Amino acid sequence: MCRRSEGGMKGFRIARRLLTAAGIFALAAVGYVLIGKVYPFNWGLVLRYYRLFLMGLFVTMKISLISIVISFFLGLLFALMRKSKIEFFEDIGGLYVWFFRNTPLLVVILLTYYGVGTIVNLDRFWASVIALSLFEGAYITEIIRSGIEAVPKGEIEAAKSLGFTNFQVFASVVFPQSIRIALPPLIGQFVSLIKDSSLASIIALGELTMMARQVGTRTLASFESYLIVAFLYIAITTIISTLGRYLERRLAIP
Amino acid sequence: MSVLELHDVHKSFGDLKVLKGINFKVERGEIVVILGPSGAGKSTLLRIMNFLEHPDSGQVVFLGKKLNGNYKIIRWARSKMGFVFQHFNLFSHLKALDNVAIGLVKVKGKSWHEAREIAMKYLEKVGLSDKAQNYPSQLSGGQKQRVAIARALAMEPEMILFDEPTSALDPSLVGEVLEVMKSLAREGRTMIVVTHEMGFAKSVGTRIIYMEDGRILEESGPTEFFKNPRNERAKRFVDSILERVI
Repeated sequence: MCRRSEGGMKGFRIARRLLTAAGIFALAAVGYVLIGKVYPFNWGLVLRYYRLFLMGLFVTMKISLISIVISFFLGLLFALMRKSKIEFFEDIGGLYVWFFRNTPLLVVILLTYYGVGTIVNLDRFWASVIALSLFEGAYITEIIRSGIEAVPKGEIEAAKSLGFTNFQVFASVVFPQSIRIALPPLIGQFVSLIKDSSLASIIALGELTMMARQVGTRTLASFESYLIVAFLYIAITTIISTLGRYLERRLAIP
Repeated sequence: MSVLELHDVHKSFGDLKVLKGINFKVERGEIVVILGPSGAGKSTLLRIMNFLEHPDSGQVVFLGKKLNGNYKIIRWARSKMGFVFQHFNLFSHLKALDNVAIGLVKVKGKSWHEAREIAMKYLEKVGLSDKAQNYPSQLSGGQKQRVAIARALAMEPEMILFDEPTSALDPSLVGEVLEVMKSLAREGRTMIVVTHEMGFAKSVGTRIIYMEDGRILEESGPTEFFKNPRNERAKRFVDSILERVI
């Protein structure tokens, strides 16, 4: 009986979502037709450059994935530093977070490419990866730090009382729990990172946004190309969020 | 050789002096019950024995070895000293079985397979083998505390410290935990118990220590302590407790 009513609820939820989606689609269609009266859409022209969009998509995914990995480890490292008993490390962690949370990403990218990049010869791609990783790493530091702080102190003491080394306490008790706590905001930050990667177009890195601008200038159909790009960003971030929710469910503790 | 010796242990938290020179010894097979009003320093004393707090001065000697800042010796001592907490402190991301097994894996270097087999025996001992696959959140308070006791036992400790093990429990669940502790006492294990359970202190304890204001005020056998405490404040404490019972 209970099961059936639950199933009913689920069916209802799916129906409601479909209805919402249909509504939004209808609104968009009406909007499209109305806009079409003043702006002649020319999709054929833009889609002729599909290769450029694919190249841009590839670069965006590559820069995002590499930056996600690096920023995660940077976040973990600096979160540990911020929690360190050694004051020097604690200060460095604090300084890092303070600097990158208070500097616009655009400026960080320009600084990395035109500043650091001229000294050690960085290409556009790696300058973007470094800037993005350092910037997002600061936010991830705070996310992981609050995850670590949410682990009950008593469990840490219990592990110590069994004779665990500090590393074992972290690896077996603190990390597995804090990562579960931090996962939802972490996924949100990764989604931000993907969207923020569009700012790398300022140093002419051929990622999605840059490619859209190029297609726009070549075809004079900027509206169409940016619409395509918006759709592609939504597609990537939705995939990441869905994967995140799946991971959350997999790791959930009753 | 005494299992544990404390020599003139002092501890302050900021301006607050919690322990003001504690001396005492625990021999093998003794069940020492520490009584006293809250704020007397009982829990701090227990935590110092396990080096969860460091003493400001004084000496803790465990099985003939001095515990000072040496991290290796502290870890060795902790692995041979079980600690049962007031709030159980089970690892919430691990099933009951793995809560008991993890110490054997991480500290004693056993394989997970072997550790789980051993863990199962200790869960049986506390009557919870049917809850092995449950997470802590799926257990009652009494069950959690019994798992915590099994976790301490699995390490085959020389001595077990109990820090108010029944204080956080529903009154109806206190009995099952005390029952397990009594069975440990019958096995002749060395135990130090901080508790407010006077019945347990009287019937199971082999020695009572009465603490107040960071000092040990009285040390005597349980019958003597409850019948005729020498110290005036201990007497008042016993009276107030007995009054509450009646």
